[in-house]
Amino acid sequence: MKIKLETIFKGALTTFVGMSMAFTANIAFADYPEKDITFIVPYSPGGGSDQMARRLQPGLEKALGVNVRIVYKTGGGGAVGFSELHRSKPDGYTISNVVVPNVILSSKGDGVGYKPGDFEYIGMTESAVGALMVPKDSPYQSLDAFVAAAKEKPGMLTVAGVGGTGADRWGALADILGIETTYVPVSGGVGKMMPMLAGSHVDAGMTASNHATKHSSIVDALVVAGTQEVGTLKGVPFEPEWSYVTTWGIMAPPGTPADIVATLNAALNEAASDPSVADTLGKAGYNTIIQTIDEVNALMDAQIKAYE
Amino acid sequence: MIEALFIALSPSYLMYMTIGILLGLIVGTLPGLTATMGTALLVPFTFALPTGEGIAMLGGLYVCAMFSDAIPACLVNTPGTPAAMATGFDGHPMVKQGRGQEAIVAACFSSALGTMFGAACYLLLAWPMISIALKFGPPEFFWLGIFALTIIGSLAGDSILKGLAGGAIGLLISCIGISHATELNRFTMNIPELRGGVSLVAALIGVFAVPQVLSMVLGLRKQEYIAEYRAEKGVILKTMIKVLSKPIHFLRSASIGSFIGILPGAGSPIAAIVSYNEAVRWSKDKSKFGKGNIHGVTASEIANNSAAPAAMIPLVTLGVPGSSPAAVIAGALMLRGLNPGPELFATDGVLVYSFGWSMFIAGIVVFFVGLLATPLLVKVIKIPLRLLAPLIMFLAIIGAYAIRNNIFDVYLMLAIGIFVFLARRLGFHPGPIGLGFILGPIIEPSLVQALYISDAVGVQKIFFSGTINITLISLSVLSITAVALSRFKARRAAKLA
Repeated sequence: MKIKLETIFKGALTTFVGMSMAFTANIAFADYPEKDITFIVPYSPGGGSDQMARRLQPGLEKALGVNVRIVYKTGGGGAVGFSELHRSKPDGYTISNVVVPNVILSSKGDGVGYKPGDFEYIGMTESAVGALMVPKDSPYQSLDAFVAAAKEKPGMLTVAGVGGTGADRWGALADILGIETTYVPVSGGVGKMMPMLAGSHVDAGMTASNHATKHSSIVDALVVAGTQEVGTLKGVPFEPEWSYVTTWGIMAPPGTPADIVATLNAALNEAASDPSVADTLGKAGYNTIIQTIDEVNALMDAQIKAYE
Repeated sequence: MIEALFIALSPSYLMYMTIGILLGLIVGTLPGLTATMGTALLVPFTFALPTGEGIAMLGGLYVCAMFSDAIPACLVNTPGTPAAMATGFDGHPMVKQGRGQEAIVAACFSSALGTMFGAACYLLLAWPMISIALKFGPPEFFWLGIFALTIIGSLAGDSILKGLAGGAIGLLISCIGISHATELNRFTMNIPELRGGVSLVAALIGVFAVPQVLSMVLGLRKQEYIAEYRAEKGVILKTMIKVLSKPIHFLRSASIGSFIGILPGAGSPIAAIVSYNEAVRWSKDKSKFGKGNIHGVTASEIANNSAAPAAMIPLVTLGVPGSSPAAVIAGALMLRGLNPGPELFATDGVLVYSFGWSMFIAGIVVFFVGLLATPLLVKVIKIPLRLLAPLIMFLAIIGAYAIRNNIFDVYLMLAIGIFVFLARRLGFHPGPIGLGFILGPIIEPSLVQALYISDAVGVQKIFFSGTINITLISLSVLSITAVALSRFKARRAAKLA
């Protein structure tokens, strides 16, 4: 009987120790992050999102004290990567690029499995307005020449954009200009679009203006969106009615705890404030953004409404 | 350029490049660890080095992985990366005939030569080659994919119909997931993991490794080892002479490899497939391929290795990487504030050329590293099957999991593996199925884009005009007719006899 009591006592003690270990494990959760973080890039290597991820990677690693591993999940205008993030564990160890409005437009696809309102947004870091660009040796060296040609032979000019999301944005500018063209969706991202332009396989390409800056040896911009000139594209006309702005940031899966989102937001802002990052962004033709979580959520709410 | 050569020959360059090569040996040998993943894992470690040494190390890893992926392809019929699929077609039969050392030495020597050829293209012909590569638009990529598919004719074995069916199955499986051009869900059966598509690496492991393990287990009572193996003296020199005795074969494979390497998005796997196909076409005795012909191994290895340095050409001329590992190297450059592209020639010309030279030298180092490692590697054949089978299975599962850190890929790999194992019993060759997996992601998006463009310019003009299109179509038709003719003749001969 005595032995039995002892066994019970031992059992109780073990349970207690076990429970307290589980409890400390729970507290240890606050020590986030304690292992490598996976960073999903939903567009092909060499594109805008890839560049952004690689630019921020060292800063994020320094701020968080763990490695950030970049993985590519491309396809469907970003939908493949976004849906991958959507079903990832909301433990802060998987994050992804977010490109606005791509994440909103792509969610309208049939059964992609996510809504833009689902995600936990960590912050936006940069933005760029849209641009229409033509190959260097294009016969259309000005917007007027391009519009005139498109009006002369409606539907005969081809314009490439990224996935189905590009179709929407190109449609908006085509309406403003009053022209009719043929849209060609490029899979994967801008990395795949530039060779098509360089080889003149399409008449024009439409994407964010920073690509026109980076690939100035391949393409000439004809027009940019917004109400002012883009600093790195001097002399390129702007179209105030065309409201195409692409914003890049980082997001986490739905249901990621608020304290983890806050940790990531702080790390992101630290990485983005690094002078070398800001300098690279300026030279590359982006606007730099530093946001609090409230600001990014307000931005997303407004954008989601705008595209409904 | 000479200045760049001396920089590339400096001790620190050579040392870091060799470290990269040794890492590449491991990365390439393990199925599931691809050159892309290897370079991406290595990038953070290169930050501590000067830019030149850093990218030389990454380049060394890349080209060595393109050699070492041939090792598992030959020894256990499981390509280490998708680029070595065609290597196994003849490499594994060679091993089974007891010519394991010869197969590995051939792969090693031809990889070294291929790398040097690709690097020479990078150093000397970057601009003329890229101007041809730019002529490849969506319709050209589509026809290139179709042309690569005609290799089924030489793979199919006894039944061409089963070969075609296998290719179609592979292509259909590659369509699973959200479509490339528009956000359309296809064949996902409401399984969320399928939205991202079937992982190419996991699928290839399934196609090759799992059936291999299953047949090992089934044949265990009859067979104790994969093959007979005994070390042979002088085999290294003999093999090298065999490779060198076919200069035209070398030039053809290396040119195909470098050219396809330049095309953004095509890369080493397609280079190897097209090169293998051409080797069969130009050979006098086609029936020897697929049964342990050393030139099947060299065709694939020369091409996939020359494609690796060539994939850097679009990076330095256009600022667009030619393959995924090249994209990782581009990222490593951008993080240092360098903008890979034509401007880099003007601002950091020495860096651009010394990188080319270090890839050239890497070819030589790969050869010696490979030779030193071969005696050790071929010992795998001496592992009894009862140990080897579980070991391959273990590596297959790790590999399928590691590529996306997703257990679903492991289930998928097993399912595909069991399917291919059963299909093989019915006389299907696994090659065409793997081919479909590799070519689907090239053929489908380019077809869709070309169709969109055809709205503006017409189907006839987009698909059936232009020198490249006509050439690729003619070559495809020629391939198909040749296969049909030879089969017809064989059948008639069989009837008469």
